[in-house]
Amino acid sequence: MLENYFPILLFILVGIAIGVLPIVLGWLIAPNRPDAEKLSPYECGFEAFEDARMKFDVRYYLIAILFILFDLEIAFLFPWATIFKEIVNTEAVKWFGFAEMMVFIAILVVGYIYAWVKGALEWE
Amino acid sequence: MEFKTVVFYFLSAILVYAALRVITARNPVHAALHLVLSFFSAGGVWALLQAEFLAISIVLVYVGAVMVLFLFVVMMLDINIDRIREGFWNYLPLGAVVGLLMVVEMGAILGSQYLGAAEAQVPQTAAGVSNVKELGRLLFTEYVYPFELASVILLVALIAAIVLTHRGAKKTKYTDPAKQVFVKAADRIRVLQMPAEKQD
Repeated sequence: MLENYFPILLFILVGIAIGVLPIVLGWLIAPNRPDAEKLSPYECGFEAFEDARMKFDVRYYLIAILFILFDLEIAFLFPWATIFKEIVNTEAVKWFGFAEMMVFIAILVVGYIYAWVKGALEWE
Repeated sequence: MEFKTVVFYFLSAILVYAALRVITARNPVHAALHLVLSFFSAGGVWALLQAEFLAISIVLVYVGAVMVLFLFVVMMLDINIDRIREGFWNYLPLGAVVGLLMVVEMGAILGSQYLGAAEAQVPQTAAGVSNVKELGRLLFTEYVYPFELASVILLVALIAAIVLTHRGAKKTKYTDPAKQVFVKAADRIRVLQMPAEKQD
C-alpha cells in the first residue's frame, strides 16, 4: 500500500532539490560584493514611494473565503466521485446516492447565486 | 531501521521545527509560512498512516485555502509587532493556564496506555481497499444528514462573509470598450444652430 506513495516521495525530494540547488549554487558560485547602493530598495530608478508591506484590501479576503468554501465542497465531492460507479451499480441506493450530492450542491448553489447577485464576485 | 521509520522521523523533525518557528518567529508572515510547512509535513505523516484522504485534504484545504486566508488576514491587519509584545506579561497567566490544560489533555491521551485506559481501536484497512472509498461509503450512507448539514454550514459561512466584508462594488467610472467601438460621430458632438450675435 505504502509503496504506491514512493513516486510521490521521490517527486517531493526532486522538487526540493530543484528549489534548493539553484539557491545554494548561486550562493557558492556568484561573486558577492555588496555596497550600500546595491542593497538599497530599487523601484524603476527612483526612490521607493512607500513600504512594500502595506495593508491589503479587504476584498482579497472575501475572494479567499469564497475560495475556501468552494474548496471544501470539492473535498466532499472527492470521496463521492470515487464510489460513484458503485452507487450507480447498486439498485437500492442508485437515486439516493445521486440525490444526496445534488441536494448538497443545490444548497451551495443558493450561496453561489447570492454571492453573484450581491456582486461579491465582481472586482470593480 | 525501516525506510518508513526514516521517512517518519524526517517528516516529524520538520513538523516539530516548523511548529516551534510558528510561535517563535517575530514576523507574523514568517510564522504563517512555517504553519504551512508544518501542515504539509503533518499531511506527510498522515500519508504514512495510510490516511490518504486526510493527507490530501489537509494539503488541499489547509495549505491551499486556509493558509492563504491566514496570510491575507495577517497582511490586512498590518500587525505592529512591538504593540503585540507590550501585553506579554498581562496575558501570560491566561496563556499559561490554557497551555497547561492542553499539555495535560495531550498527556492524558498519549499516556492513556500507561495509565491503564483501553488503547484506542485503530481500524486496519484490508490490503487493496481504498480508505477514500470506505470513507465515502460511510459518509454517504450512515452520515448523510451531517453531510447535508455541512453544506448548510458552508452556506451560512458564505453569506456571513459577504455580509461582513462586502461593501458593494466600488463605483468607479470606466469606459466600456464595446460601446467605444460602436460609437458614431453623431453621438459624440451635437451641432447647434445659433443665431449670430450682432456686433455693436
